[in-house]
Amino acid sequence: MSRPDWIVLVLTLLAIIAYGLYKGRTSRDLDGYFLSNRTVPWYMVLLGIMGTQASAVTFLSAPGQAFTDGMRFVQYYFGLPLAIIVVCVSFVPVFRRLKVYTAYEFLEQRFDLKTRLLTSFLFLVQRGVSTGISIAAPSIILSSLLGWNILWTNVFMGGLLIIYTVTGGAKAVAYTQQLQMIIIFGGMAVAGYMVVRGLPAGVGLSQVLHIGGKAGKLNIITTGFRKGGGFDWSDRYNLLSGIIGGFFLQLSYFGADQSQVGRYLTARSTSESRLGLLLNGLVKVPMQFLILLLGVMVFAFYQFHPRPVFFNQSQIAKLERSKYKDSVDMLLARYEAGELERMGSQRRLYETVETDKSGRAMLPDSGLQAGRLERAQAADRATVKRWLDDPAVGGDSNETNYIFLRFVTDYLPVGLIGLLIAVIVLAAWGSIAPTLNALASCTIVDFHRRLARVPLGAEKEYRLSRWYTLLWGVFCVAMAQLAYNAGNSLIEAVNMLGSMFYGVILGVFLVAFLRRRTGGRAVFISAVIVEIGVIVLNVLGRKGIVPLGFLWFNVIGAVGVVVLSEVLQLFVRRRG
Amino acid sequence: MEREQASEEKVPLFKKWSYWYMLVAGFLLVCIGVFYFLTKHYS
Repeated sequence: MSRPDWIVLVLTLLAIIAYGLYKGRTSRDLDGYFLSNRTVPWYMVLLGIMGTQASAVTFLSAPGQAFTDGMRFVQYYFGLPLAIIVVCVSFVPVFRRLKVYTAYEFLEQRFDLKTRLLTSFLFLVQRGVSTGISIAAPSIILSSLLGWNILWTNVFMGGLLIIYTVTGGAKAVAYTQQLQMIIIFGGMAVAGYMVVRGLPAGVGLSQVLHIGGKAGKLNIITTGFRKGGGFDWSDRYNLLSGIIGGFFLQLSYFGADQSQVGRYLTARSTSESRLGLLLNGLVKVPMQFLILLLGVMVFAFYQFHPRPVFFNQSQIAKLERSKYKDSVDMLLARYEAGELERMGSQRRLYETVETDKSGRAMLPDSGLQAGRLERAQAADRATVKRWLDDPAVGGDSNETNYIFLRFVTDYLPVGLIGLLIAVIVLAAWGSIAPTLNALASCTIVDFHRRLARVPLGAEKEYRLSRWYTLLWGVFCVAMAQLAYNAGNSLIEAVNMLGSMFYGVILGVFLVAFLRRRTGGRAVFISAVIVEIGVIVLNVLGRKGIVPLGFLWFNVIGAVGVVVLSEVLQLFVRRRG
Repeated sequence: MEREQASEEKVPLFKKWSYWYMLVAGFLLVCIGVFYFLTKHYS
């Protein structure tokens, strides 16, 4: 990275830290530290909710996902607006009326202490580990592409935000998220503009959509049914899994995950909590669509520019140190010459057909996948992936996460590269900071304060809360380093961690809201049994014995707890 | 106390929250419809 890029990056990050420290002054008690004294307006609640959900991987991976797999990932969010409605009707008024600090406090009032501690513990485990991974994932990508040291990148990604999060608590988090989201949207809009600017004259959005459509990238809606009939339960993203599985996942996330509950509890009133949530329900799906569309635009861009044989350059370097060294050199020479030929033919085809002015015939469709040159190039790319999959090489053949950032570093002008790297780091900060705040609030409120034999006092609670925030921050950075050392398999496993716990936690909340007669004992035993069941199902799924898309774990967990607690309650009543 | 409760329940823009819920659900349906059209048109 050039010096101007470093200046843009460092100044942007320093500005955020300074802004967080300046705005983060609150009263020295739990109400001020975790809930901003409940004074946050609806638009900051909205930006806080969006910033918490959109991590660095959202902006790094989503365009790459559209590039490789198409836009069907947007269906993952279809359950979100419906879940938001349920949260506004059922969860928000109850949490606000009871003036709770954490969602799990409500469960003690409704059931008993052990149910509160169990759900809070599940949240701490799941969030603590997954936050470490959410630091590691973008750090690995940045360090790999830019040659940064991984430990320092992890500290950069997950450590610096601790400064303002520890000092200013929820208020600093809310104010910085506001600024972060503005910079992130601005940066992504600039990236989109730069893609369009890099397309040949006359190639606009309509042509980009045609190019994407021809290559199968505009598969926005998929049914999940196989061609021969029958629903594919292992298919991750389709209309049904998005609406049903996504609904349960998002309901758990917004109703029972403290990192989100903590955002809307800071609002000035119940109305402003609801408004922030509902506006998020309106904008989330179109926002995700636009991020994915950026990936399709980058795909169209590479039809007219040289596409790397593999987007993660460090893996090519790995191959060059392996037994494939000579073959790689030959393949690269052939591929680069082939790219020039392919691009030339693509541009000529486009210009020739364009003069015909005959609608769809304007499209360079034969220059996409169907053309001879493109097929040869695709075969070379497949060969590189095959070599990387060779255990002797020990490479990573998944390049999805590297596509967008490689485009940024290869084609964006000096200064903008620094801005886009800042966008990635800020996106990470925007989702990690509220999570540290939530982890600390559960630790102090659900465990330390609740289990303390003597009252701690407001000042001591405040000081302890800051210490817990710091400790969780250090823990998450350490987890990130551990994840890097453990390699990709751990990252993939932990990516699914949320769905293994979310369903069960949601099930407990659903029983609390919907089944007034069900008691704490029945729901506690059900939660433990179903959690074990979901973990077993996940293990079987990973071994290919029970192939199931991970979104379905949310449904199984939630429905399992509701049904089993109902059965157990009948048994308890009969014994009584 | 009553005034505080009234401000808590004040619904912005619409008369009832249910209209907000219909707007959010309706907008999702419109999005899915538009996405379906794009998928079919460009496939």
